[in-house]
Amino acid sequence: MMVLRRLLRKRWVLGVVFGLSLIYFLTSTLKQVQEERTIRDRTLLQVRDPDHRIPWKVRFNLGNSSRQISQCRNSIQGKSLLTDELGYVCERKDLLVNGCCNVNAPSTRQHICKSCLANGCCSIYEYCVSCCLQPDKQLLLERFLNRAAEGFQNLFTAVEDHFELCLAKCRTSSQSVQHENTYRNPQAKYCYGESPPELLPV
Amino acid sequence: MLLFSVLASVVVGLLAGLLPAVGTEPEQGAKPTIGSTLDPLSSPHGSNCSHLTLKLEFSSEVVEHEYIVAFTGYFSAKARSLYISSALRSSRDRQLEWHIVPRENPASDFPSDFELVHIRQASPSSLLTLEDHPYIKRVTPQRKVFRTLKYVSSPEPAAPCNAKPVTPKWQSWQSSRPFRRTSLSLGSGFWHATGRHSSRRLLRAIPRHVAQILQADVLWQMGHTGSGVKVAVFDTGLSEKHPHFKNVKERTNWTNEKTLDDGLGHGTFVAGVIASMRECQGFAPDSELHIFRVFTNNQVSYTSWFLDAFNYAILKKIDVLNLSIGGPDFMDHPFVDKVWELTANKVIMVSAIGNDGPLYGTLNNPADQMDVIGVGGIDFEDNIARFSSRGMTTWELPGGYGRVKPDIVTYGSGVRGSGLKEGCRSLSGTSVASPVVAGAVTLLASTVLNRELVNPASMKQALIASARRLPGVNMFEQGHGKLDLIRAYQILNSYRPQASLSPSYIDLTECPYMWPYCSQPIYYGGMPTIVNVTILNGMGVTGRIIDKPIWQPYLPQNGDHIDVAISYSPVLWPWAGYLAVSISVAKKAASWEGVAQGHVMVTVASPAENDSDVGELTSTVKLPIKVKIVPTPPRSKRVLWDQYHNLRYPPGYFPRDNLRMKNDPLDWNGDHIHTNFRDMYQHLRSMGYFVEVLGAPITCFDASQYGTLLMVDSEEEYFPEEITKLRRDVDNGLSLIIFSDWYNTSVMRKVKFYDENTRQWWMPDTGGANVPALNDLISVWGMAFSDGLYEGDFSLADHDMYYASGCSIARFPEDGIVIAKNLKDQGLEVLKQETAVVEGVPILGLYQTPSEGGGRIALYGDSNCIDDSHRQKDCFWLLDALLQYTSYSMTPPSLSHSHSRVAPPTGSEHPLPQRLEGNHLYRYSKVLEAHLGDPKPRPLPACPHLSWAKPQPLNETAPSNLWKHQKLLSVDLDKVALPNVKSYRPQVRPLSPGESGAWDIPGGIMPGRYNQEVGQTIPVFAFLGAMVVLSFFVVQLTKAKSKPKRRKPRIKRPTYLQQQTTTGKNPTV
Repeated sequence: MMVLRRLLRKRWVLGVVFGLSLIYFLTSTLKQVQEERTIRDRTLLQVRDPDHRIPWKVRFNLGNSSRQISQCRNSIQGKSLLTDELGYVCERKDLLVNGCCNVNAPSTRQHICKSCLANGCCSIYEYCVSCCLQPDKQLLLERFLNRAAEGFQNLFTAVEDHFELCLAKCRTSSQSVQHENTYRNPQAKYCYGESPPELLPV
Repeated sequence: MLLFSVLASVVVGLLAGLLPAVGTEPEQGAKPTIGSTLDPLSSPHGSNCSHLTLKLEFSSEVVEHEYIVAFTGYFSAKARSLYISSALRSSRDRQLEWHIVPRENPASDFPSDFELVHIRQASPSSLLTLEDHPYIKRVTPQRKVFRTLKYVSSPEPAAPCNAKPVTPKWQSWQSSRPFRRTSLSLGSGFWHATGRHSSRRLLRAIPRHVAQILQADVLWQMGHTGSGVKVAVFDTGLSEKHPHFKNVKERTNWTNEKTLDDGLGHGTFVAGVIASMRECQGFAPDSELHIFRVFTNNQVSYTSWFLDAFNYAILKKIDVLNLSIGGPDFMDHPFVDKVWELTANKVIMVSAIGNDGPLYGTLNNPADQMDVIGVGGIDFEDNIARFSSRGMTTWELPGGYGRVKPDIVTYGSGVRGSGLKEGCRSLSGTSVASPVVAGAVTLLASTVLNRELVNPASMKQALIASARRLPGVNMFEQGHGKLDLIRAYQILNSYRPQASLSPSYIDLTECPYMWPYCSQPIYYGGMPTIVNVTILNGMGVTGRIIDKPIWQPYLPQNGDHIDVAISYSPVLWPWAGYLAVSISVAKKAASWEGVAQGHVMVTVASPAENDSDVGELTSTVKLPIKVKIVPTPPRSKRVLWDQYHNLRYPPGYFPRDNLRMKNDPLDWNGDHIHTNFRDMYQHLRSMGYFVEVLGAPITCFDASQYGTLLMVDSEEEYFPEEITKLRRDVDNGLSLIIFSDWYNTSVMRKVKFYDENTRQWWMPDTGGANVPALNDLISVWGMAFSDGLYEGDFSLADHDMYYASGCSIARFPEDGIVIAKNLKDQGLEVLKQETAVVEGVPILGLYQTPSEGGGRIALYGDSNCIDDSHRQKDCFWLLDALLQYTSYSMTPPSLSHSHSRVAPPTGSEHPLPQRLEGNHLYRYSKVLEAHLGDPKPRPLPACPHLSWAKPQPLNETAPSNLWKHQKLLSVDLDKVALPNVKSYRPQVRPLSPGESGAWDIPGGIMPGRYNQEVGQTIPVFAFLGAMVVLSFFVVQLTKAKSKPKRRKPRIKRPTYLQQQTTTGKNPTV
């Protein structure tokens, strides 16, 4: 007993005890900090940092969306509709060989915001892209790009022009979901606007 | 419908709640990777899995006095005898006794080059004289060889079954929503084949270069190395300067960890299988690699990360995307929709089918999607790897029938790939098989001149059409068979856009490939047999079926004896759709036996994209059908399985039926006779019963046709109409067998867990079964189950039984037979961690309803013993006995005269279980709907109605064998020439100096080496830290010792000061 007590009084023993406790303290604190950061980082995607700007390089074609081009890119994926880079929405059967919509087809419309809500969210992807391609949406898009969350940096710095930006912006993303596996609003999930889809109550 | 995610904490909660001692380290102990086992440990049979290794041993011993005399040539028996005698005569040893041992076999009539000689007291010298003879080559002692063949339970305790062959890091490979997708890798290459073909062979699972086995070198030599194809690897990242990769175009990070590097090795391995250029070679070394880091080093991942990363992949116009991940939640709509979006953008998605085999009903999403190439695993012996997930898809239940998945299988066991920093290692798992296919697809895509023709559908069509079928394996295990790279190359290079079907024909007589269809013939009055065919449309991302599919029975083949109804996707998007064929027997064949044949013609159209002359591309495909018809079996032989009242995860939290299985807390296998009740189905078939599935409410079947309605582990509520109808049916002679399960609201509250994603508590919506609902159903007969929760071993009628978390019978009619057993009160154990044995728990009840010709009812409190998942001891014998009772009214004496028989409980002392307050069952129920106050039943839905296709008979004779190699139109394999190459060292492997031996760098091959590294880093850091602190104090101490004088006063000063102050204070007093 005496030996133990004397041993405990030894400075180096106390030092070791202190050191070990310190290590334990530090590791557990660090671990906790890391966990907290993980949680915070996840919500980072929703929170915009006003100081943070992503170095976007989108070139908007100012107002000349009625220009004549020989080849069009289009939205490729649609079940029945497609949007070309001039903002025309048409049915697949009305797509020309050059990838542009046949502007003479009766159902083809340019810059149409059908199914879109006031908050910039639409229920049909192709209309979202078309609406987003309206020239007057440029300011809105620039404002979005300037304030875009860090999580979107990869995506929106790679985007090169208005059409690509609209294609990318209208897709469902981390902003479209709640609880990870449900849409915030399954009816209007494609958004060109700044805000995420309105959260529908469970 | 709401979808919910389930969290790691679940399992933590479960662990903590049930067995606090185990839940020390949640991340490791918890195995919430439902449906995505990383190691066999968590395979559904983990607990009772006895991993057998075939051990083949040879031993030999010398047979005394017998020698084999070998001659230089072949001589007749007479000549041989002459030579030996002459040789021995020249020996000095005169009293040598010898004779030739006769060999009586057919070969003895022919010349031979040896003779067996028995020589007494042979001396070395006499043997030497024998050898001196010019025609005698040598003399050797006769040896007796023993070969022993035995199965041994794995020698090491850490063998695949129950142990952790790799560090826990791998086991808890999970997203924070652990019941979702996880990376699908097994630990290291420990999975030796256990398939039935290998069980009698020595295993030579030597890890080999999978690219060479699949003959990628043939394509390499032709100059195709994947160049110009963009491959995305969605995984744990890749370090920047890995020596195996020469064309890493981009690395992006989508996680919350600020690194692009792989800290685990999973992503590196996967990328290596696709594109490594040296050592363990990948398929497409020149392909453009895009590394997407979507899993953290803690194996965390979220749907939202995937969504953003997928968007980037679309923007980057990725061609091939490998997803060695998977999870059971196919109802994660944002994710599933996004995968569709990717394929719609021409991204070829390749994904691992899952590591949850050999249990059926374990397919993982996204591999189970029609537009994704789902890959299963085989070993190098061509056996389906035990871990490979299998069984039909379960999206379509209860009304429909699942699709065939996986699409193809390839090597996934002991495959070598890149190690974390360098070298190679071998890994197993479907997440290894997936990049094998992704690499092959990349290589194939680079061989096609007109890249426009390559799309998710055409690639899948080529892989499917070229796959080699494995013998003896059904399509729900192997899909279309084993990947054949060279044939796929041939097919793809003569490809013309078209539609095709998977499976390409329906032969319900073909066993075992068409199991389970071939296991039960069809008959008049039975539930229609549904075959869910996938239409692949290589013509365009959207398509549609023109007009209607046409049913053309072959009159010479009795095609008019069957009726066919067809339903299909209104739009085939993206690249695929379904074609569900329901087959029924026509009334005129009610007592006919034979085979009927015909075919269905489907025409698919897609808008032409590159050709303005043609408005639409069309393609017509023929689906041959062949069925076996038997006369309708008697009522007593027909058993109806109630599928309608089974609910599962996803979408809701429906807990497992066995509470001991904390690793796998959800009921997610579909509860179908062809998924996790497969063994029971097989057993019933072998006993001669015909089992049909009811995918509609109880009101929707003709009870006079069936002997027994089998309700197992039902979670759903009942419509009031169902309850009255069932009562009437039982009065009229239908019998009922119910296998219930536990339902205890306190335990349900205990197994709740906190979900980090939804940030709310998750409460199970039922127990193992929905006992209150079942009680509503059977109360009319004076029966009820209790909310007790029991567990334990017992024996019944000379059978060992295990009761795994079941309830007891609370009420039973007086004249019924009730069996009771002593069981442990598991409820007490879960809630209070106390053990108590309850005597005489009524678990089994048999009852004959009193009305004339009335049916019989049998109740049993636990379903685990007929369920394949986590079953410890089966009780098929009990099911037999119960069916004997219900179908034939034969009371098994072993039960009626059992000494365990007790008086039926009246149950008046205990209140019956009530539904858990605030449960959300209505969200997932087909019966309930939300109301103010309590949920109320919906109006009874209409019974499903099939509209039979109008037959257009053909006077045509069908081929007897429907399966030829599935042919894609206009594909002539001979047209595509292949260079005649054998083994070829590919040029894509620039050998760096001194690298020649790299293949066999020990570290690269040793399984699990890397994992140890990872597991050890943290302790090493901790140790180093401790050493630093320690040395700091040692330095301090030595400093202090060297300057004792300066320290003393400093320490004493406080006392001194104190004294001073006290003295100073004195005067004031």
